[in-house]
This record gives sequence, C-alpha cells and structure tokens, in this order.
Amino acid sequence: MKIYFESIKMHLKSALEYKKSFIIIFISQFLVFFSYYFVILALFSKFDNIKGFTVYEVLLTFSIIQLGFSIDEIFVRGFDRFDDLIITGNFDRLLVRPQSIIMQVLSSKIDIVKSSRIIQGIIILIIALINLNINWDIYKVITLTLMILSSIAIFFAIFVFMASYCFITVQGLEVRSLFTDGGKNMAKYPIGIFKKGFIFIFTFIIPYAFVNYYPLLYLLGRVDNKLYAFSPLVVFLFLIPALLSFKLGMKKYASTGS
Amino acid sequence: MKQYLSVFRIKFINNLQYRAAALAGIFTQVFFGLVFIMVYIAFYESNTGASTPMQLSQLISYLWLNQIFFVIVYIWIKDEELLSMIKNGNVAYELCRPVNFYFKWYFTIYGTRLSSLLLRFLPVLVMALLLPSPYNLSLPASWLSLLLFIVSIFIASLLVTAISMIFHIITFFTLDERGVLTLLMVIGEIFEGGVIPIVFFPKFLQVIAYMLPFRYICDIPFRIYSGNINIAGSLINIGLSIAWLILCFGIGIILSKRALKKAVIQGG
Amino acid sequence: MYFLRERSGILSFITVSDVCKTFKVTKRRSGLKESVKSFFKRNYIYIEAVKNVSFEIKKGEIVGYIGPNGAGKSTTIKMLSGILIPDSGKIEVDGMVPFKEREKYVRNIGVVFGQRSQLWWDIPAEDTFDLLKDIYKINEDEYRKTKSELVSMLQIENIIQMPVRQLSLGQRMRCEIAASLLHKPSILFLDEPTIGLDAVSKEIVRDFIKKLNKEEKTTVILTTHDMNDIEALANRLILIGKGEILYDGSLKDLKKKYGNYKSVIVNTKSKINKLIKKGVITQDETDNGYSFVIDTNILPMSDFLKYLSSKINIVDVDIDSEKIDNIIVKMYKEFKI
Repeated sequence: MKIYFESIKMHLKSALEYKKSFIIIFISQFLVFFSYYFVILALFSKFDNIKGFTVYEVLLTFSIIQLGFSIDEIFVRGFDRFDDLIITGNFDRLLVRPQSIIMQVLSSKIDIVKSSRIIQGIIILIIALINLNINWDIYKVITLTLMILSSIAIFFAIFVFMASYCFITVQGLEVRSLFTDGGKNMAKYPIGIFKKGFIFIFTFIIPYAFVNYYPLLYLLGRVDNKLYAFSPLVVFLFLIPALLSFKLGMKKYASTGS
Repeated sequence: MKQYLSVFRIKFINNLQYRAAALAGIFTQVFFGLVFIMVYIAFYESNTGASTPMQLSQLISYLWLNQIFFVIVYIWIKDEELLSMIKNGNVAYELCRPVNFYFKWYFTIYGTRLSSLLLRFLPVLVMALLLPSPYNLSLPASWLSLLLFIVSIFIASLLVTAISMIFHIITFFTLDERGVLTLLMVIGEIFEGGVIPIVFFPKFLQVIAYMLPFRYICDIPFRIYSGNINIAGSLINIGLSIAWLILCFGIGIILSKRALKKAVIQGG
Repeated sequence: MYFLRERSGILSFITVSDVCKTFKVTKRRSGLKESVKSFFKRNYIYIEAVKNVSFEIKKGEIVGYIGPNGAGKSTTIKMLSGILIPDSGKIEVDGMVPFKEREKYVRNIGVVFGQRSQLWWDIPAEDTFDLLKDIYKINEDEYRKTKSELVSMLQIENIIQMPVRQLSLGQRMRCEIAASLLHKPSILFLDEPTIGLDAVSKEIVRDFIKKLNKEEKTTVILTTHDMNDIEALANRLILIGKGEILYDGSLKDLKKKYGNYKSVIVNTKSKINKLIKKGVITQDETDNGYSFVIDTNILPMSDFLKYLSSKINIVDVDIDSEKIDNIIVKMYKEFKI
C-alpha cells in the first residue's frame, strides 16, 4: 500500500518534468469535460424535463458518474490501459517483482493530468446539490456518500473486467468502450428514463442503477424506503467477479504466454 | 496514384486482421447510436408540446448517419505514425522521398478512414434500417436528397481529412502534441454537430458554428439526407463546403511546406 | 542430441528436467485474399518451443545460454523466472518451484532484460532504487551499503541523480544492473546486457559481473548473441536449438572440439605460390607476407610451421585461435539450426 503512494509521488514527479505540456493538457481536459456537460445544458434549454427529471437532477446523476469515472481514470488507469502492459511485454516485469500484481498494475499508470476532471465534477455536483431542494438528514448524507463511492467502485470493476479480457486478446478493445463509455453515457441519466429492458440490464448485469438511480430516488424524496439509501452497497459486490476474472486471466497467461 | 492505392490496400488488410475489433466496432456503434436515440426519445416524449428545431425522425436519422459514417465524421482519429514522425523530427527525411509530402499523408489518412468505413458501414446501415420505429433510420427525404447527400458526404470525407492534416501539421509548431491536438479535436467535434446537432445550440454558439468549416463534415450532410435543409439550401451549402475544402487544402499545403522548411533548418 | 555432465552427489541449485512447452499460434498469410479468408476461419499451428529440455546448474556458475532466435531461449528463461508454466517436466530452483510460489520465489532473483527497462524514464535512477528498496523490503542499512557498493563498482555515482531519459545506453544499462541487484538476489538473469553498449561500458559491465560472481557467488544465466560476453564471463555453455539442448559443457571443451581452425600471420620477404598441403584451408597475401588458416586437426601447428619454414624465411609469426563467433556458427551449421 505504501508503495502505491510512493508510485503516485513518482508519477507526479514524472509529469511535472514536462511543465509546459502539463499545463496545456490540464487546460484541454477542462474543455473536453465541458463538451460533455454541454449536451445536457443545451438540451435542457429547449426541454424542461426528461421523464420527470429536471436539469439539476440530471446534473446530479451526471456529475456522480463523471466523478467516479474520472477518479478511476486517474488512479486505475493501469487497468484501463492494461493492453499497454501486455503488448510492450512489461507485464512480465511485474511478474518478476515480489508484490501483488494488482497493486503493481494500479501503480503502473497514474494519470495526474486528468485531475482537472475531478475538480469539474465536484463543482457541477455542488451546483446541482445547491439547486435541488433536498431534505437533508443523516441518511441522505450517507446515500450521497455511497453513491459517490459506488461510482468509483463500479468503474474500477469495469476496468478490471476489461483488463482481464486482454489476456485473451489485445485486439477488439472497442468492446471495452461499449461498457465504459456506452454504459457510462446511459448511466449519466437517471436510468428510469429508459425502457424496461435496460433498467434490467443496469440492475442485474452491470449495476449502474444502484449507483445513481435507486439511491437517487431516495435522495430526492421520491421514495421513503431506507433500502434504497443503502442500495449502492450492491456495487461493491460487483468487484468480486471482476477481480476473480483477472486472477483467472493471469493463470491463463502463465500457461500460454502472451 | 498506384502508391496511394497500395497504401489503401495495406490499411484495409490490416483492418481485416483485427476481426474481433471489427465485429466489436459494429456492435459498439449500433449500441452508441441507440443510447443517444433513447435519450432523445425520452426528451421528446416528455415534452410533446415544445417546439423543436428538428423532427424526431430527422433527429434519429441524424444520429444513425453519425454512427454509420462515424469514421468520416469522427475528427479524433490521429495517425500515430505521422505524429511520431513529426515529434522526433524525422519529418525532414520526407523531403528525400519523391512523393509529395502532403499528398502522401493525405491519402494515407484518407485511406485509413475509408478502409475502416467500408468494413463497418454496411452492417450498421442494415441494422439501423431494420430496427422498429421510432428507433430506425428513416429513408431519405427524396431521391434528390439522397443524391445531394452522397455528394456532400463525399466532400465531407475530403474535408475532414484536410482538416485532420492541418491539425497534425500544427503539432509540428507546438512542442507537445497531446494537449493541443485534444483541444482542436474537441472544438472540431462540438462545432461539426458531432456532440449534438447544431440546431440545438444556443444562438450565440450557432453563430460561431456557422463561421467554422466543421459543420460541413457532419451537420450539413446528415440534414440534407433527412430534408431538414431544403434542396436550394443544400446546393448552397454544398458550394460552401467546396470552398472550405479548397481553403483547407491550401492552408494544409502551405503549413506543410513551412514545417518541412523548418525541419530542414533545425536539422531534425 | 545433447551432452550432460554427470554431477553425482552434488545438489544442483537449478534443476530443469524434461521440460516441455508448446504454443498455439494463429497461422497468418499475406495478401488480400488470405486476409479475407482468415477473417472467417482461423487456422492454428502448434509450435513446440521447448522439447524435453534438461540441465542442472550449480550455485555460483556463470552459464552462457545461447541459440538462434526462436530456439526456445526466452521461453526457458520465462519458465525459470516463474512467468510461464511448463506443460510438463520439473523445474526446481533453490528448493522452490518458480511458478508455484511466485511472490516468494521472485525475491530471490534479479532480472535484466536488455531491451526493456525497469527504471522510471523521466526521473533519476536513484528514485527507482528507493522504490525498489520498499518493494523488496530491504533493510535501510543494508540498502545503503549495497547501493553504495553497486554504484561505485558500476561507476554510476555521477549519473544516478539524472533523469534516466538523459542517459546514454551504456549508462542506463549499468543503472539497470544496479537496480536488479539491490536486493542481493542469488540468481541473476541477464538478457542481452551488452547489446548496443559502448566499449567502455561493456568492459565495466563484464568486470562487474565477474566480480559479483566471485564475491557473492551469484549464479548468473546469460543469454546473449555477443560471443565476447560469453568468452569473457561464462565457463559453461548451453546451446539450445529448435527447442532442444544441443550442447551443454565447458567453453574449453567446445573450443577443443570446434576450435581447430587457427589463423597464422607470417611476416616474410620471401614469395611462394599457393601451398598445396592438406590442412591449409586458406592462404592470402598481406602487405608484409601471408596469412593462413590451418585446420590443426589435420595439420598440427608444429608440422605446419616446420613445413612453412622450409619454404620461406620467416621473419615473424602470429598465431591466433579461432574466434568464438566462428565456432558457434560452425556449431549451428552442424546442428542445422
């Protein structure tokens, strides 16, 4: 664990070596991010609600997903870009070190430059929360915290799943974008706006709904059942099959090479 | 000409090798298309009273065409070979080649896009046509619209490659390509109507969009198809797009000449 | 065919017995038609990378592991470092099975892959050293002592504070080697350590490995194409070709078997025609006389010199053993690899 934090320091040191480009990239990340919000803002200037959800409610779900994804994009980038390790053969180097492979993959890439996205996510989150009339109590606070934490967890799990796929082939990486970007684009909106089939998929297959739909309903006061408040915990269970699949992939790698 | 065809051939073969990627790519695009469509349908269904700049069916056609012609419309595609060559200065060696630097890379980028397009576009098109209403791709507004669409999308493919060339060459004059390229490509994507159709922009942004060439890549062709722009308007826009095309070619060639000169002086 | 040295009664440090490894590879062909075909149906071929390979290495040996590309070298090394699991056979190193107890086993080995670096690129090598200290859980005092020893022996005091990307290849390689030894492993795997290095760095690296082996009894397995490395360092040579061990023995024996060609450079003012004598392989004129290549198995050196002096007036003579490179080439030819 200590080594992971040391790696963060070293990644930061590396990035700062290139001061000028660091700044440019930092700024450009703001613009990229802005383009995502742009869609919502532009559409809500023409429409006033989407299936009963108003602009600030959508910004809330949006920012929670973005926040979780951005954090994982920075700190779990090693899994997100796991194909790099396999293709360059550097994965072998990890195997020759006396450390847990998972910790090593996490330490291998930490993309500090994307940190502007986290700041943006937080700002939008705050704006949304301010404009919503939420009756705050201890349960609502817990709900919000769990929503954010589960957002981080779900993308962690998805990244690990996708990395496991790299053990089978490093081609076909676009499948990955189906789950990360595709699912993410849908999860940005309260899942309830979609048809029944998708709600099913996002509840039982990739548990996005437990990140920002069911708990959202509780947060907004639309349901009163405390179960909804704690529902994000389901997402943490999702990590188990993800890590198992990675372990399985490693076993396969050891027996068949790359 | 033969050299350019062989580049195209190699890229096509290359793409075929990655068959898993191709299949996945097809599914990805259909899926992404559906995601956006569902969001828009949800919006339209919730606000049946509101006046919208585009009919739902036209919007859905727009989104499908965006997916089908994704490889042309998506500005984000970077040619890594060219970029790395610019980065480490080997671009000076290109002067030693008999082939005109600009056109060689132009056709390389064009070939890459075209070969990816051919692989993907038919399956996605078929799926889009066969989906149940209202999710499906509608037929074009008229035969004339279809014809004009084909012309405009062809020009769009030339234009996007020319703009892509400019973006790539600009990286030569800036020290770091990651940030600058990202910036340019985001701006390009927004103002071509690739994020949301320009008609949904607030007024002041629409004005900016009209002053830039990007909308001729995505916004114009797809709206010609669905009849959102009438025939007369289509002809005018096609003319404008050709003008922009010539301008972008010109800028690209001038920049590339400058870049090569600079590379020679710097000694690579 | 291979030769195995009998090691009766002595426990080997590394034991490899009857190890096999086969890979499934997709068969690809060039051309547009073939590409379209393979899009729809995949064809596979099986490659036996390693076939019944066996050898034993004692603690403290320096072994040169050579063979042409694709012979199975890197596969064997990967199995020895615990990265790859053999399909059959047994591997035991220092009482452990490499792939079975990876994290424990790997504490004991050091690896230098010539082409791939374990040093962080943009920051000083010393920072990577400090990170390795924590990864291998090295005691602070020991670490300082080991680090200063390695740094002075490899002559990198002035460069470990510079970002690695600013170092020359030779400097970088020396830092790599230092990094791989900070945790005092008992085995060192060196893969092409001197490739692309300048002469000075090569010298430093070779001297260092010799010293390391002598003082710390570190077992070194050296895979390389550079025969000068082998000559300078290894006393034992294992040749692998097409997945099989073709030779396993000392360098001396190898030279005796194949090193029968010797070059003779003669300084003379006399002139002679082409010598027609069995055992004289080549004869060339030089500025100061002649140069010959003699097969000493057919024509012993003393006989040749006697014969030569009967023909010409020898002012000076220079006899050189055959270069190890040529010996290896001959071996490859004989084993048809």
